[in-house]
Amino acid sequence: MLSRNWRHLCRRYSQAVTFRTTEASPAQQNEKQIGLFYTMNQETCKQLFSQGGFPKSFQKQTKTFTETAIMIRQPALDLINCIKSSDFNKPAIRYVLYGEKGTGKSLTMAHLLHYAHEDGYLIVHVPWVSEWLRRLPRSKEMSNSQTHEGCVDLPLDAASWLLHFKGQNQHILKTGELKVSKEYVWSKREKTEAGAPLAQLVEHGISRVKYACDVVDALIKEIKTLSHNKQCKTFVAIDGFNSFFYPVTRLSTPTKKKVKPEEVTLTTTFMELTKNDWTNAVILLSADQLAVPDDHQESHFPRYLLYKKGFEHLDPFVPVEVGRYSEKEFLSCASYYRDRLWLRGPPEIDTELKFTSACNPYRFMEQCAPL
Amino acid sequence: MNTLRILPKYCCKKTQRFCRLPVSQNRFYARPTSFPDFFQNPVFRKEDQAKLVETTDLSKLAAVPVKPPAVYETCSAYHDPLVNKVINHVMEMGKKQLARSLVEKAFENIKRIQIERYHLASTAEEKNKIELNPKKVLHLAIENSKPLLQLSPIKRGGITYQVPGPITEKRSLFLAIKWLLEATNEKERTIHFPEQFAWELLDAANNTGKVVKKKQDLHRQCEANRAYAHYRWQ
Repeated sequence: MLSRNWRHLCRRYSQAVTFRTTEASPAQQNEKQIGLFYTMNQETCKQLFSQGGFPKSFQKQTKTFTETAIMIRQPALDLINCIKSSDFNKPAIRYVLYGEKGTGKSLTMAHLLHYAHEDGYLIVHVPWVSEWLRRLPRSKEMSNSQTHEGCVDLPLDAASWLLHFKGQNQHILKTGELKVSKEYVWSKREKTEAGAPLAQLVEHGISRVKYACDVVDALIKEIKTLSHNKQCKTFVAIDGFNSFFYPVTRLSTPTKKKVKPEEVTLTTTFMELTKNDWTNAVILLSADQLAVPDDHQESHFPRYLLYKKGFEHLDPFVPVEVGRYSEKEFLSCASYYRDRLWLRGPPEIDTELKFTSACNPYRFMEQCAPL
Repeated sequence: MNTLRILPKYCCKKTQRFCRLPVSQNRFYARPTSFPDFFQNPVFRKEDQAKLVETTDLSKLAAVPVKPPAVYETCSAYHDPLVNKVINHVMEMGKKQLARSLVEKAFENIKRIQIERYHLASTAEEKNKIELNPKKVLHLAIENSKPLLQLSPIKRGGITYQVPGPITEKRSLFLAIKWLLEATNEKERTIHFPEQFAWELLDAANNTGKVVKKKQDLHRQCEANRAYAHYRWQ
């Protein structure tokens, strides 16, 4: 019994050397750690991703594995290096993540968010744009916008996003250093005065859901001016950004008229945010095939997914490809899954899985599931 | 566990003798095929091929025509005939891909449940007890739900008696899978098949649950009707 346990321990330990790294701070990670997993702190994880941000399947894995481990990969390291060495007095640089389905664009974004969180950025993160434009739960609420002529508001979505924003930036909002620059009048009795802390504006949006969309609009404008005035640095991350440019959304008005994405107030707000007319910010976007319906998934390249309109809106941007696993990454991932008891069986299974999954991270994870 | 006993009939001679099937090398086809009778079944497992090389039967096989293997007959490392059988039982209207995905999802659920239990268990002994391999769970579940006896209606003097008797290996395998699926389909409409199937398999592997109870009921009935046993030959 003892010898068996001992052997077990030895095996575990010998694997632990190869696929894990103790370097939990993304800013300190370097090229040597490519392909290794680092474990994210539970509390940070809860703060950043409790309201979404991880893909659903990954969320499930974290529960099964009882930890949140992310692989350190080349695109994320490149991006961190780029951000570190870029000049923040110049207009904001836009990075666009692209790649095949299931290669880890969202997880690369999560890695970068962790970096931004540690580096003290103000995070403006949209977990999944299609959640607003393409998903229709029963409780979807729509109303005509009071401030934008001919536009549609999504008050519930906007309010839940404000909650997400508040959760992610607790520590920055608590200090109350960020002030609102001008007065906003919502109704006869309600108004946010100039000089009030930013947290108050967010609170107002959450408690008065009716004005949530306008609050988001105001908040984004405030953030832009604040970071332009060097009062904070901002990290914008929007997953599934190309969803804003697909010609129609799933939403329809009570008169059965299909809503176009540019007729949604949230779209105009985030279009404004992704322009490069401000400084002291990083803008990270992703173009994902899964964000648009099946008929527009032929290619994973940004020009195809963003359409001409989106491409011209973002131009110039830095494309960052997230690819499939390399040999080394695959090996480390397989040994990680073995350690977490997700993959078992003889070692020849690895080679077989490598062929059948074509080194695609998501497919590899999925094919390990029934084994 | 003797894995040979659960092989489908066309896989090896031992099973065929056991099931008292006509000894023929032919795979069972529902419809006429283009292959004449003398075509041999393919040997698609690497182990079997190695055995052929050892016993020098290879030269004999090399001279006769061989059928192409079916899609599900692979040399993949995780090929399992019993799993294949269960998938075929789950299948409706020939939708095999759907059936396969359902069974695989059930396996995934089993794995998640068991891994969670594994992490919750405090001592190493408890951890060792937990079976993490979903395929082993399936094998165990089916082994536990196989009946050993069956009742067959026999008419004597105008009265139909339920007469207990032995059951063939094949029939008991069939009943085990059938009962498992019946128990799974007795579920709420909102619960999905893979979820319920996972629970049933885990229950049966643990020697508890609806299916094992059904088996025990059958055994009890057989025991009660043992007085009629002589009708089998009288």
